[in-house]
Amino acid sequence: MIKNLALLITNDLAAAFKNKSLFLILFIPLFAVLSLKLVDRSPGDFGRVNLGIVQNQRYPYSVMNALRSADRAFSLETVISIDEGEALLRERVLDGILVREGGGLELVVLKKEAFKTLAIVSGLTELQRKTEGRNPNWITDIRPLHAGGFQFQSLPTWVLMSILLVSLIILPAQVADEKEKKLLLGLLQTPMRESEWLASKVLTGMALSILAVLLLHVMGLFGAGNAVAYITFIVAGTFCFSSFGVMLGFLCASQSSARTLGVLFYLPLLLPSALSDFSSRLSSIAPLIPSYNLFEPVRAALLEGGRIADFTFDLACLLLIGLAACFITLKLIKKRWLM
Amino acid sequence: MPLKVNDLSKLYSEKRGLYPVSLSIRSGELVAVVGHNGAGKSTLLKLISGWLAPDSGSVEVDGISSLDRCAYVKKVGFVPETPNLFDRFSVEYNFRLFAGLFNASFKRIDRLLKEFDLTSYRSARVHVLSKGLKQRANIGRALLSNPGFILFDEPTLGLDFEMTRDVYRLLKKVHSAKKTVLFTSHRPEEIRSLATRIIVLHEGRVVFDGPPKKYFRSRTYRELYL
Repeated sequence: MIKNLALLITNDLAAAFKNKSLFLILFIPLFAVLSLKLVDRSPGDFGRVNLGIVQNQRYPYSVMNALRSADRAFSLETVISIDEGEALLRERVLDGILVREGGGLELVVLKKEAFKTLAIVSGLTELQRKTEGRNPNWITDIRPLHAGGFQFQSLPTWVLMSILLVSLIILPAQVADEKEKKLLLGLLQTPMRESEWLASKVLTGMALSILAVLLLHVMGLFGAGNAVAYITFIVAGTFCFSSFGVMLGFLCASQSSARTLGVLFYLPLLLPSALSDFSSRLSSIAPLIPSYNLFEPVRAALLEGGRIADFTFDLACLLLIGLAACFITLKLIKKRWLM
Repeated sequence: MPLKVNDLSKLYSEKRGLYPVSLSIRSGELVAVVGHNGAGKSTLLKLISGWLAPDSGSVEVDGISSLDRCAYVKKVGFVPETPNLFDRFSVEYNFRLFAGLFNASFKRIDRLLKEFDLTSYRSARVHVLSKGLKQRANIGRALLSNPGFILFDEPTLGLDFEMTRDVYRLLKKVHSAKKTVLFTSHRPEEIRSLATRIIVLHEGRVVFDGPPKKYFRSRTYRELYL
C-alpha cells in the first residue's frame, strides 16, 4: 500500500511539474516575500515629505520655523499659486500643500485615505508636540484632490484586476484548450485566415474585459471621470493584455499549463500597480511594469480628470505591447507551435 | 483531383518522423498508407493536410500549392484520428460553424446529416455520442466544402468490428462520389479489398508503392507483417 501511495504521489508530482503547477508553488511565496520587502514598514519609511507652500500666503511663524528646523523630515518648496501646487501634487513632485484657510492650515493631498497622507499628518503632529506641547492642531482640514470616496478611489485597482483576470487567467486557458483538443487545427482546415482567428480571440478578450469594467460601473453606480480618456485607455489596455493573454495561451500545450502561466504573470502585473498608492518603494518600481501604463492613466482619468495628451507614452506602450504580442502569436500559429 | 508531393519531410528526431518523400496520386484513386506505429503515416497525412509545417518539400493538389492555404483547404478535406469537434456543442452547431467558415449552404448540412445517418443526432451534444457516431460526424464535417481530395488518418482507430465496417463503408461511399481518397491504417489485411493502391512506410521511408495484389505477394509484406 505504501509503495502504491508513493508511486501515485510521485506520479502526481511529476504531472504537477509537467503542467507547471510546481512553479506556481515556488513562485507565489517568492513573489509574496519580494513584494512584502518592497512595502514600507512604517509611515517613517516614506522618507522626507516634500511640502508645498504658496507664495504670498502668510503662514504662522512658529509653524514655518518648526518645519524648517525639521529639515530631515520635511522639505519645503514654494509655489506661485495653489493651482501650480496642485499640478505639482498630481505629478507626484509634492506630497502635499499647506494652504492658509481661515485661522488654520488646510493640507491639500491627492488622497485622504492614503499612507502618504497619514505620514504627513503624523509627522506634523509629532513636530507640533515637540515644539508647542498640547496646543490645537496646526492642520484644521485635509482636502483631497482625487474625486469621490474611498470606494471610487479604489476603482482603478478593481478595473485593472478585472482586465488582467480576463486576459491572463481566462483567455490563455481557452486558447490552450482549443490547441489541446486540436480545434484550432480543425478551424485552420477552413479558408479562415490565421489573423482572423487571432483577431477573434483578442476581440473576445477585449469584449469580456470591457463587460467586466462596465458591470463594475453599473453595480457601483460609478461615473467615468474624463470619459474620453478613460474609454480610450480601457480599450487600449484590454487590447494590450488580451493580445498578451492569447500569446501566453499559445505558448502552452495544455490548458493547465496555460492557467499556471497566466497566474505567474497575473500577480506581478497586478500587485505592484495596485499597491503603488500604499508604498513609496512600490510606487518607484510600478512604472517599470506594463500594467502601470494602464493603471496610472485610468486612475488619472477617473480621479483627476486626466487627459489623453498627458499619457501619450503610456498609450503608445500599451498599443506596442499588444501589437508585438499579436505579431509573435501569428508567427507561432504559422509554425504550428506545439500543435 | 491529383496530388503531387515533392521531397516532403519532417523529422522530430534522428529516428522519428518522415524522410523526404515524393509521390503522386491520380484523380479517383483510393490509396491506403500502411505501416507500423511510428512509421510516419500520420506525419505524412498531417503534412499534406497542413496540420504540420514541413522541414522541406512541397505539396500540390489540383495544381494548388499548400502554401496558398485558403485555396488549398477548399480542395482537401482532412479527418484526423481523434474527432476534433466542439464537443460541448451539438452536431448541427458544429456543422453550421464550419459551413459558415467554408461559405457552404445550409442545404448541404441537411444533405450530409442525412447521408451520414446523423439526422436524429443533429441536436445531440458531440460529447454524448459514441465513438463511431463522433467519427461519422467528423467525416461529415470534412465534406462540408465538398473537397475533391480527402485524407483519413487511422479512421478506424479504437473502433469495434461493427463500427470499423461502418467507417469503411463510408470511405467507399466517399470514393464512389468521384473523390480521391488517401487513408492510413496499421492493419493491411483490413484494407485488402478496399484500396486501389498501397503505399508502405517503414521508419519514415516509402518501402513499397503499388497495387494491393502485388503488395500481399511481396517480400515487404512478408518481412513487415508475417
